[in-house]
Amino acid sequence: MSPEHPRTDRSVSTRIGARDISKNYGLVQANHGVSFNVTPGQIHAVVGENGAGKSTLMRILQGLERPDSGTVILNDEPVQLRDPQQAIRLGIGMVHQEFMLAPELTLLENLVLGDEPMRTIAGPIAIVDWKKALTEARALEKRAGVAIDWNRPTATAPVHIQQYVEILRLLRRGNDVLILDEPTAVLAPQQVSKLIALLKQLRDQGASIIFISHKLHEVVALADHVTIMRRGKAVASASVDELDIAAMTRHIMGDAPADPSEQARAAVVLPDARRVLRVEGLCAVTVDRSQALNNISMDVFEGEIIGIAGVAGNGQEELMECLAGLRSMSSGSISLNGAELAGKENMDFRLAGIGYVSPDRAHEGLARLASIADNVMAGSQHAPAFLKGPFRNLPAVGRAARQRLANLDVRYGALSDPVSSLSGGNQQKLVFARETASKPQVLIVSQPTRGVDLNGIAAIHAILRQHCEGGGCVVLASEELDELIALCDRILVLSEGRMVGAVRNEDATPETIGKLMLASGDGLEMAHV
Amino acid sequence: MSDRVNTDAMPADGLAAMVRRGLDGTLRFVVPIGIAFAVGAVLLLAIGENPLETYSLMLSEAFSSQRRFAATLSAATPLLFTAVATAICFRTGVFNVGVDGAFILGGLAAATFGVMLPMSIGWWIIPLSIMAAMLVAAFWLWIPGVLLARLDVDEVVSTLMLNFVALGIAGFLVNGVLLSETSGNNTTETIHSTAELSRLVPPSTLHSGFLLGLACVFAYALWSSVTPAGFEARLVGLNKRFARAVGISIPSTIIVVMVISGLVAGLGGASHALGQVHKFSDGFSAGYGFTGMAVALLARNSALGIVFGAILFGALASAGTTIQLFSDIPLDIVNVIEGTVMIFAVVELGKLTLWRKGKRP
Repeated sequence: MSPEHPRTDRSVSTRIGARDISKNYGLVQANHGVSFNVTPGQIHAVVGENGAGKSTLMRILQGLERPDSGTVILNDEPVQLRDPQQAIRLGIGMVHQEFMLAPELTLLENLVLGDEPMRTIAGPIAIVDWKKALTEARALEKRAGVAIDWNRPTATAPVHIQQYVEILRLLRRGNDVLILDEPTAVLAPQQVSKLIALLKQLRDQGASIIFISHKLHEVVALADHVTIMRRGKAVASASVDELDIAAMTRHIMGDAPADPSEQARAAVVLPDARRVLRVEGLCAVTVDRSQALNNISMDVFEGEIIGIAGVAGNGQEELMECLAGLRSMSSGSISLNGAELAGKENMDFRLAGIGYVSPDRAHEGLARLASIADNVMAGSQHAPAFLKGPFRNLPAVGRAARQRLANLDVRYGALSDPVSSLSGGNQQKLVFARETASKPQVLIVSQPTRGVDLNGIAAIHAILRQHCEGGGCVVLASEELDELIALCDRILVLSEGRMVGAVRNEDATPETIGKLMLASGDGLEMAHV
Repeated sequence: MSDRVNTDAMPADGLAAMVRRGLDGTLRFVVPIGIAFAVGAVLLLAIGENPLETYSLMLSEAFSSQRRFAATLSAATPLLFTAVATAICFRTGVFNVGVDGAFILGGLAAATFGVMLPMSIGWWIIPLSIMAAMLVAAFWLWIPGVLLARLDVDEVVSTLMLNFVALGIAGFLVNGVLLSETSGNNTTETIHSTAELSRLVPPSTLHSGFLLGLACVFAYALWSSVTPAGFEARLVGLNKRFARAVGISIPSTIIVVMVISGLVAGLGGASHALGQVHKFSDGFSAGYGFTGMAVALLARNSALGIVFGAILFGALASAGTTIQLFSDIPLDIVNVIEGTVMIFAVVELGKLTLWRKGKRP
């Protein structure tokens, strides 16, 4: 570690903070007079809806953006951050949601990448001192209280270990301000508690941690202090002891009513409900490093929401793509109302009555460069209602687009605006507006609330419930266990491409599901429900 | 709702949006041309010519009389076809650079039929020759289409290489079985006079192929804006994963646009063979496929832009040829301008997207 790296100075009152920061993007006021302080040795949560201005504030703290007015405070002094390099030199490090690790390198190589310890062998010639690197790595490991196999290729390391390496890499460079952007989104519950323990240990050693999250119970479990943002302003900032979850929610939502329908959904499946979708012995091979699927069977009944849980990368996406007809299966059967779909094209799945909401809204759920109208009407271009002879009946298409958007209360400016002008929640509602327009019997829904704010989440949950009340059914994959527990009649758990368990709604808790999520797929008999 | 929506979604009443888009399109058309002419001016200065004089001379050579204007339109005719053939593919995200080869083989097929079919069938000879040209060229581009759609063979490589193959096949045939017995090397016999397309403004070479070209552009405009197939092709071009997820078959879309591109390129070759040169000889295409690509890039695949672009490059070619005859200015200046337009038509696209990304909060 070079001498210029800052040491934690516990005598200052503000390690990092903002004073009266404002930042506009054109007409959009992303930050408006935001002030907040993080003291040394504090875990400070920043919460708020998407678009509340959290990301902008973090970008300013990292030197990626300059505020229009106001200043960043470091060690009680105002500073002007010119670029991210300067911020790093001053001890500010960020752990992004997408890890910045090179998958081909080992964990140790990633730890030291860009700042390798060197050993001189002759004159000016120096080589990387891997022994020293490993010693440093072991020391950091001990300091953080975790165990890491440093010679493992990064691509094969579990996601929570990769996250540790990201954090340790910042510590190694002397960063004592850590900004974590929704760090728990990719973790199973047990891994979350380990991360919380790690962060608390670092805090006790004097680090200042800024923790961005949507999950208020994690904020309560982890943070010392919380700042709540709404519409570009810091509307509340208090010790966590002084604000309970209900109070935080009120601040986050402002005047908007908190969602009343968020209580657990009672199992509504009638004993004689009709089986709609049957999956038997579904297997799929690995393509492009994807998780292979092994012998998956499930039934979905009328009016039912089936949840698919698992630690990210254990086959949920692959299963959902098979069910939507977007990935070919090597054996097994998928039948809808008794009609076999295996081996057919995606279009046949759609025509048979299966709708699909992709987890990758930006690249698969939407065509970001196309207009709102094109996005909501795509897939219906051959429907007779939208044709006049060989040509598209554009007035009818426009009317239908407006109707579809209105049905699901999508807020938009003009039909010809690019779809990227919508907020995350409205974009996702638009996807639902398209996929539900043809009244499919089964909706295959993957990560529907990723990057969606609280109001949007409530609206999407209502859409899913409504779909089932109308006699449809839903297969829902989500990394948000609370969402699965709130919505699903049954939750199936995948691990390493196998179905390792199923939990009925009344037995579903984060603990029971989390336990199954971490189970190995090998040799486990599926618990029968 | 987030702040972004409230402000972003407010403006865009239809007219203002339309004006903005129109202005945007015009700028994207004019800026690369401006830069290209500036680069050409530097070259002209370097060889001791006055660029302003040269350009104004070219302008008058291209447009100042009915005869000159007809020559310009005549030079623009093949470009209308090749630009449409290219734009169909580019719009679908298929970077087809093989229009030149398809144009050549189409021309060869049309000329061969124009020579070989018996005169006794009368005017039928024209549609039959045209159909032969379209079928040959469509088959030609069907090959890289299938390679791309089924085997994921990069279309840039396959179509570029097939251009050389097409050139080779045509060269072999016009020096062999199709070689004219009367008129020397590398050329077929002249087609029957009944197979010739009518001249519109004699003595200029402007022929009814120009009207066919305009019809092609019009059909392309219809296809791209109001047919389900054109809509699907655009979605495939914008985002393949999205298109697939909403039930559009990517392989068949790719194959279909390649075949349509071939049909159009073949029609262009037929128009050039039957209307302009009345035979097929080596050097049949003066790079029309590539100039058509420049037109398509400059027009950003818009039908109206293709008409303007084709006339612009037609004017350059026609005026350039005349100027070379009467001054020291080489015709290569036209190639420089064309190449520069192609580069900047693409560069600008990249810059604009970057700029828009930068604006996002």
